[in-house]
Parts: sequence; structure tokens; C-alpha cells
Amino acid sequence: MSEVIFEVKNLQKWFPVKRSLGQLLRGQRTWVRAVDGVSFQIKKGEIFGLIGESGCGKTTTGKLIMKLMDPTGGQMLYRGQDVTHLSPEALQAYKREVQMIFQDPYASMNPRFRIREVLTEPLVIHRLGGNEQEKLALAADALTKVKLTPPSDFLDRFSHMLSGGQRQRVATARTLILSPRFIVADEPVSMVDLSTRAELLHMMKEIQQDLDLTYLYITHDLSTARYFTDRIAVMYLGRIVEMGPAGELIDHPLHPYTRALIAAVPEPVPGRVNVIKEIPIKGEIPSAAQIPAGCRFHPRCLFATDECRNLPEPELVQAEPEHLVACRRYKEL
Amino acid sequence: MKLKDLRETLRDFWGEFRKVRYGMVGLVMFGLFLLIVILEPVLIPFPETGRRWRDITYWEDNPKNAAPVWVNWFTRKDYTPQAVLDKPEISERKAANTQMVEAVFTYNYKYDLPPIDLLLRATGKGLLNLAVHLERPDGLSIELTKKSIRLSGEAPVRLSLDKEASGAVGDFLKTYEDPDVLRGVSIFTVKPVEVFFARAEPGILRNPVPLKGEYRIKLTCVAVGSGAFLKEPALTVAGRVFGLMGTDASKRDIWSGVIAGTKWALLIGLLTSAVAVIIGVFYGVTSAYFGGAVDLVMMRIYEVFQSIPLLPVMIVVSAVFKPSIWTMILMMCAFFWVGSVRTVRSMGLQIKEEIYVEAAHALGASRGRIIFKHMLPQVIPYAFASMALQVPVSIVYEASVSLLGLGDATIVTWGQILHDAMQGGAVLQGIWWWIIPPGLFIALMGMTFAFVGFAMDTILNPKLRTR
Amino acid sequence: MEKLAIKNIKLHYFTSKGVIRALDGVSFDLRAGETLGVVGESGCGKTTLGTALLNMPTPPGRIVAGEILFDGLDILKLNEDELRKQIRWEKIAMVFQGAMNCLTPVYTIRKQMMETILTHRKMTKQEAEERIIKYLNLVGLSADVLRRYPHELSGGMKQRIVIATALFLEPQVVICDEPTTALDVVVQAQIINLLKQLKEQLKLSFIFITHDLATEAEVADRIMVMYAGKVVEIGTNEQIYGPQRAAHPYTQLLMAATPRLRQKVDQLAFIPGTPPDLLAPPAGCRFHLRCPQVMERCRQEEPPLVEVEPAHTVACWRCGHE
Ligand SMILES: Nc1ncnc2c1ncn2[C@@H]1O[C@H](COP(=O)(O)OP(=O)(O)O)[C@@H](O)[C@H]1O
Ligand code: SF4
Ligand code: SF4
Ligand SMILES: [Mg+2]
Repeated sequence: MSEVIFEVKNLQKWFPVKRSLGQLLRGQRTWVRAVDGVSFQIKKGEIFGLIGESGCGKTTTGKLIMKLMDPTGGQMLYRGQDVTHLSPEALQAYKREVQMIFQDPYASMNPRFRIREVLTEPLVIHRLGGNEQEKLALAADALTKVKLTPPSDFLDRFSHMLSGGQRQRVATARTLILSPRFIVADEPVSMVDLSTRAELLHMMKEIQQDLDLTYLYITHDLSTARYFTDRIAVMYLGRIVEMGPAGELIDHPLHPYTRALIAAVPEPVPGRVNVIKEIPIKGEIPSAAQIPAGCRFHPRCLFATDECRNLPEPELVQAEPEHLVACRRYKEL
Repeated sequence: MKLKDLRETLRDFWGEFRKVRYGMVGLVMFGLFLLIVILEPVLIPFPETGRRWRDITYWEDNPKNAAPVWVNWFTRKDYTPQAVLDKPEISERKAANTQMVEAVFTYNYKYDLPPIDLLLRATGKGLLNLAVHLERPDGLSIELTKKSIRLSGEAPVRLSLDKEASGAVGDFLKTYEDPDVLRGVSIFTVKPVEVFFARAEPGILRNPVPLKGEYRIKLTCVAVGSGAFLKEPALTVAGRVFGLMGTDASKRDIWSGVIAGTKWALLIGLLTSAVAVIIGVFYGVTSAYFGGAVDLVMMRIYEVFQSIPLLPVMIVVSAVFKPSIWTMILMMCAFFWVGSVRTVRSMGLQIKEEIYVEAAHALGASRGRIIFKHMLPQVIPYAFASMALQVPVSIVYEASVSLLGLGDATIVTWGQILHDAMQGGAVLQGIWWWIIPPGLFIALMGMTFAFVGFAMDTILNPKLRTR
Repeated sequence: MEKLAIKNIKLHYFTSKGVIRALDGVSFDLRAGETLGVVGESGCGKTTLGTALLNMPTPPGRIVAGEILFDGLDILKLNEDELRKQIRWEKIAMVFQGAMNCLTPVYTIRKQMMETILTHRKMTKQEAEERIIKYLNLVGLSADVLRRYPHELSGGMKQRIVIATALFLEPQVVICDEPTTALDVVVQAQIINLLKQLKEQLKLSFIFITHDLATEAEVADRIMVMYAGKVVEIGTNEQIYGPQRAAHPYTQLLMAATPRLRQKVDQLAFIPGTPPDLLAPPAGCRFHLRCPQVMERCRQEEPPLVEVEPAHTVACWRCGHE
């Protein structure tokens, strides 16, 4: 359980911003620092949650791991091997073991493909699975794993003939067909109806246990993260501000940002209607092109001091065993 | 296995296609055009239309600028239609060095406006002494002409009785028409055939009353000399209305021209648009997929091609080389591919950003696979529509080049017919049957492909498709 | 006192594929000064209900039956002109789903707000501007945003602008369709706080549409649960979320499927299958194909809405039919 399958060290991805003429002449360059020094380790067999508001850089982190774009800086290690830059052959081998489930299952499948084509595509790409018949058998097998049975009912359909939940199951089946070890799931249930969301998460968890998989679960939704993940990392403006076991992090948050997030989440219990809820945070999230100096959270933090503003950014430090936080003042709060 | 898949896909596609009504209309129209091409030999009365479209002797028996036969349905007075009488009663006698042939043609005249000519054709050899008599329903018999011809070898004989009978008509008129009227008329302006199909009574020149009934035209020939003969006599009644679509100023049968032009229109349209669109789609998708410098260079090349006007180039090429349909198709392919590039490229740029393309990248798909499996198929519906629209454009371009007289002289195309109509002043003279048939066929062929193209678009594009 | 009384409203979409019964006999009241929450899965007819209350169905939709009484006046009997002068935006306003993303990108906020107000009211630009600023302040924005373009504003600010615009003509009832769905959780909480404040200050009645039961618990005095074009349960916040739990099997399952942040849940519930096709809804109870408590009667007869206790009505053969 403690073997690290994936490690990210100080990962960075900066996107250039289009410059105005004045900036061009003055030689100025600005960057959107979408991912700005992210480090974490994912252990084999765990579900690791990456949480944050839209624009905080979690999807970009996922895409970097999927090698859909090249990082600006930092290092990525998969099973102890550096995968930051890979030769074409090594990249193909990597892509067999690391798979992704996208947020919108409909958009992530070619609308012209039948499910059989969707599912056999990975096999065709990697020249695996033998002849046509054997490939189809593997596809049927994957459908059985995601509980779309009997598979023959689904193989010849197009994705638009499926419900949202069924589509996301097919998307999951597609990632399973290459027998991966590590799956990046970017908001896999956010477009699925509430009534089937739990069913889908349950299935994903079962598969994870049966096949000994590791998930990186990317979401903005703290509640499903608590339900689904083992550990959670909270991202704010391109950086991880707190990381720890899911229950512990949510029941005893240390970082002021995590506290605000948790306070804001509604809960289906009575007696809250006429109460104006305290949300311990100021203002709105700044643009990733203008990340504040010092602690990047300080303009919104209710506990910010001059130190927070002027001293270098606080690093992630161990507060409890397994529970890390990047705040100077977490002990006082 | 693969073949079975393909069959299944096609069957599914057909199942869907059948439900799109205008698609079926287009398909039926396409079928009709194909049928026309296949049945061409049966459909056209002039089998050598294709080869001899520009040979005036091939068409000389036809009337000039004659309207289609069916205008008689709409006019109060019926015009005589063209008729060929090639089965006369023949009696033949032979003596030493002489052959005597008598051929009697029976013609039932039941129209209001007479034929413009009677044309006798035969094949003969040696010295031929010919006489032609006309026996009218009212019992009058007129000797139209008497003539000797000497043919050194076997050769065709052609007599225009309208010309030959100018002497006979004078006598005839003197007998029946009012002398006062005759005095004011030059005999050279009289059309003999018109006179002979009218009642023999005063007023025959000014207000002729048609004499309906059975006419007999009797040809007598005495062929003198060893080996002299006359055979295969035939009589053409040159009408005022002609065939299904009339004739043009060069006496050509427009129906035959239009039908013979169908195969060329299909060839020009389909081949040009298919090749051009295939090139364009590949070009656009490639440019979009690679982006960056590749895109930049490809787009510059595209712009160069796009800014060269095709027509002058085609004219120059056609003028320098012998104009041929194949060079024309080649030229059009070389330039028409630009037509679809811009749209395809922007579609490609859009598809490139689709999440399923990203998903394919994540799975490790190669460039080729992404272009061929994910991008091209999305563009195909557009390609079909584009092809459908390109078909009439190609036909019109061919016509434009033909308009300058630089068309392929060995074939007949709709464009050439239209071109001749413009040149012949068909619009000014109101010879609508010269313009409408080729124009209509061009439009119908355009519609055929547009219907099929749009129907395919609805089927292949799942966003438009409902469950 | 009832502000709105909706009686057996039916709104159908007449599409080429057939008639979609998006609202099939919906009845409820909205009391003055309360927030009525409307919950249900996507496609159950929530947005359609909002358009019906403005008598503004989206083509090819048509209201085919029912009454909508606003202070006793049936707005379905009014003609288009009367509706515009008396009801729409004047008395009943709606914040449409995704409206914040539909601000015109090429105009400043001032121009867009000005246009809205001047098409409805005769007033000088000066007066209009004053009124705009008053409402901007009310939703927590400064006059500063007026010269901005939509892309310069955050999602929360845009949503506030859309809300301010809906309030211009001083309506008494405001329908909010998924006003927080596309927003991040912090902004979501801020908007919810804002709506609560506005309700107090302006004595508004709200209809708050969302698919999220947890959000609804924060805002709604009473909750109406919809399923496949029908109302299945209406109850007070306490009756739905309280310890004695909601009564309808669908509400119960939805509740059990909602993940909780503040407690560890081992196994969330889910509802097998998918909501029915509204082109051909099943006979009997519309939920019977997915209901774990289904009985023979459910497949035959449609359960009526009956009062099981004061203020609590349920449409299920297992509730109140002993
Ligand atoms: N391809 C790109 N070009 C420029 N900016 C980008 C690009 N992708 C993401 N960003 C920016 O990076 C930041 C983080 O985005 P993203 O990774 O999508 O976050 P999240 O997944 O949390 O929504 C945002 O400010 C976004 O605008
Ligand atoms: S370091 Fe300071 S500003 Fe940053 S989160 Fe902690 S208290 Fe707030
Ligand atoms: S009526 Fe029957 S099927 Fe419907 S919810 Fe009640 S128990 Fe379930
Ligand atoms: Mg995202």
C-alpha cells in the first residue's frame, strides 16, 4: 500500500499571454501560471483527490500527467522512472498504462463511432488484442466489468443512444481495455444525474479494487471527494495548499482556504433557511496571470499578516502525520 | 469479417437514407440520368449525334429552328412535323444496261401549316434519269421535276423538291391563282411545297387552305449504262416542328444533343468534383491538424492557387493545346480543390479541439489515425455537399470555355449547346427550346447532387440526427 | 396568503417526434414572502415550469390546460400585451439558467442594463442610471462595473448583474433557474446569502429551481420535488430534510444519493435505470419502473397528490392510502 506509483515534483505549466504592442516593445512577457509548483505522491492502490475551484489548475495537472502537453518545469515520476520527457516508444508504452476518463463522456467519444469502435480503438492503436474477434471479446469483457450487460446490447450503439451514466461507463470501459495501472479521472460524475452518480462511483471503486488500480480523481466537489477518495489535495491558484487523508482533511481542515471551502458547502439538513451563512473568505479568486506575492492566498485570507504578504510563499509542511499544509499560521488558528 | 462490416454499415446507411425523402428524390433522379446514359442508343434518333454534332451534312434534312412537335397541342393551327418515309412501294424492272425503278411514297397530310420541303434521298450509280410526280388527294397530279444525273461511282443522291419544283409551281399557279395576284408576285419568292399542299383555288398564294388527305409522291428512275442503279430511296417530309425538343439554327436535333451530352455532364461533374473535393479535404484537414508553420505554408500555396483565375488559364491551355475534355477536367481539378479548403480547414481546427480527439491522443493515437479516423469522417458530409455543389460549377465552366469556341470539338456537351444558343441569338429570336432543355438538364443534375448530398449530410452528421 | 396558485398546468412540446409532456398536471401554491424550492433531475420539467409561470413557453411548447392565478388573476387569460404590461418582469421575473453567460460580449454593462430598463419604463437616462446603481448596490456591486464588459467580470459578478436586472421593475415573484449551478462553491454560497437578504429586504417571493437537494435545504421554506413532468411531493423544509424524512420513495432515494460532506457515508444510495421518456411516459406511477417499493397498483393507476399531514402532500400509493 505504501509503494508510490506516481510522483510529481515541483510541476509547472505556464501559458504565455498574448502581449500588447507596448509590452512587446518593452520586452515584457506575462504568463498564466496555471500550474505553479505542484508536488505530490500517489500511492499504489489509492484514490487521490485533487480539489479546487475552476481555474485553479487541476485539469492542467491532469493533462500534464496524461502527456497531452509538456510541462514548463518540474519532474514527473511513474513507478520510479522519470516520465517528464519520453521518447516516442517510451511514450506509447506509458500511454498503455496510464489512462484518462474525461468530464464529458459524450464529448470524449467520437460521435460517429459505435461502442465497439470506441472500445477497440485503444487495441488498434497499440496493436494488441489479436484479431477482430478477439478484440471484440475484450470489448465485451470490458463492458461486463462496467456492468453494461449483456454487452451485445451495447456494442452496436452510438454514444448518443446511451444515457449519461451509461456513457460514462463506456468511457470507463475504454480505459480498462488496455489493463492500465493508473487512471486520471477528471470530474467523471459531474455531468451525470445525481440519481446514478453514486452507482457510477461505486462501480469505479469496485473496479479499482478488483483490478488493483490507482486513481487520480480531479473534482471541484468536496462531498463526492470525501465519499470517494482516500487522500485529498486542495489546490489554489496553481499550487497545493493542503493535503491529507480525506476524512481528516475535511473534519479538521488546517488551511484557511480549505476551511472556507468546507464552510461554503451546503448540507441537506433542515433549519438553515433563515440563516445568513458565514463564509470565512474575502473577495474573489485573482487571475492566474497575476498571482499575488507572498502567500498567494493572502488577499482573501481573514488571518493574513504582514509576514504573509512579504515573506516568501509558505511551503507545504507536515502538521500531523500524513497531513500537510502550506500556511504560516495554521498552528495559531 | 471486414467485408461483412462494410456490408452492414452500408445496409444501415441505406436504412437511414431511405427515410430522407429528398434524398430519395435525388437518388431517383440520379438513377434516371444513369438510365439515360445507358439507353442513349435507343433514345436518340440520330445515332451519330456524338461524333457528327458539328457535321452540317449530317443534319441537313432537318428544318432550321423548328419548335418541338408538342407545341401543336397548344396552337390552334397544327404545324407539319418532320417525318421520314423510308418504306415506299418499289417496283423494279431490269433490261440490258438499264434499270427502271418506281418508288411510291404515301403521306397522310392532316395539318394546317404545310411542310417546308420534301427531300428525296437515294444511292445510285451511272446515268440516272429521274422524274418525280405528286398525286394529290383531289386527284391532281403534278410533275414536280424531271432531271438527269450522272454519277461516276456509287454516290448518294439528294433532291430538294422545294428547289426542283420551282418550274412546276409556276404552271400550277397559273392554272389556279387569280392572274392579278400573280402579276404582283415574283415566282422566286414562292415556296413550291407550300403551294402543293393547299387547295387548288384562287387565293392559294395569299390565303392557302390546306388540302388534307393522302398524297402520293412517285419517283421514277431510269438508270442507264452497265452497272447503273438506284437503290434505297427515302423521302423526308421536312416539317415545321421537330422531335421532342426541336432543332437549332444549324438544324441539329436538340433532344439528341442533350441526351448525348448527359454522359459528358456526369463525367465532367462527378470526376472533377470528386477529385477536387478529395484533394481539398485532405489539404484542409492536414493544414488544420499540423497547424503552425505547416499551416502557414499550406495556406500561402492555397492563396496563390485561389487568386489565379481559372477561366483565362483554361482558355490559354485550350488555345495552345488541342482542346480536349480530359485536359479540361484536369485543369478544373487542379484549381477547384481550393473551393473546399477554407471550410474544411476551419472545421478541422474545430475538430482538433474536440475532447474525443484529445482522448485519442491520450490513448496514444498516431497523427495518421487522428486525421483519418477522427477528422476526415467528420468532414465527409460537408465534402459530399461540397461535391454536389461543385458538379454544376464544373459543367458551367466547361460551358464557359465552350462558349469561346474552345470546347472539345469531338463531343457534344450541354454547355456547348447553350453556347451555340447564345451565339445563334436564341434569346432574341425566342427560340426557347434551344435554351431551356440544356439549361434545365444542368439545373436538374445540380439538384440531383444537392439532394443526395444534403441527405447524406443529415444522416452522417449525428448532431442533426435524432434518435 | 397565496401569491401564486397553479392549478393542473399542462405544458406540452409538440415536436416532430411526438408530444413531450414536459408538465403534465402540476399544481401548487406560492405564498407571499416564501421561497419555494423546485428540485428534480435534469429533464423533469423544472425550467419548463419557470417559462409556464411567465406564460412564455419556448416553441414548440404550448400550455394546453390549467390556471395560473396571480393574486387571483388568471394570467393565462391575458393577451400578450396585457401580459407584458402587467405581469412579465413587472410582477413575475425570471433569472434564466445560464443567463450570466448570455450577456452580450460587445456592450458594456451600462449599455445592457440601460437598454433593459428603458424598454420597459419611460424615464430619463439620469433616472435610469440612478435606479441601476441602486440595484447594483443592492446585489453587492459598485457602480464601477457599469463601464466594464462581461468578459472582465467573474462569474459571481455576472450572476449578480443578472439578478439586479431581474429586480429592476420591482417584481413580487422571482424565479431563479439553477442560479448557482455553474459557480464555484464559495461564490455559490455568496449568491445564496444574497438571495436570502433580498428576500428579506424587498419582501420577495422566490421560486428557486435546482437539481441539488443540499443547496435547496439552504434556501427553500418549502420544497417541491418533481419527477418526469409531475409533482411527487411538496413539504416544508423540516418535513423534507428533518429526522422524520421525506415521504415519497423518490425523494428519499434522492436524499440518500446526495453525498454528505460532514459525515462519513459508507455507501450512497442510487436509483437504478433512467428517468422515463416524456414522449411516452409509463402508465400508472411514473416512478414505478425504478421504485424499490413498487406494488401492482402502481403499475395500473396514477397516484394523486394527497395531503399526508398539514402542509405535506405526496403522490404515492404507499403514503396516505392506508
Ligand atoms: N491552453 C491554455 N491556454 C491558456 N490558458 C490556459 C489553457 N488551459 C488552461 N489555462 C488557464 O489555466 C488556468 C487553470 O485552468 P484549468 O487547468 O483548466 O483549471 P480547472 O481544471 O481547475 O478548471 C486557468 O486560468 C485557465 O484559463
Ligand atoms: S500564510 Fe497567511 S495569508 Fe497565507 S493562508 Fe496562512 S494565514 Fe492566510
Ligand atoms: S406509487 Fe408505487 S411506484 Fe410510485 S412511488 Fe409510490 S410505491 Fe413507488
Ligand atoms: Mg476543469
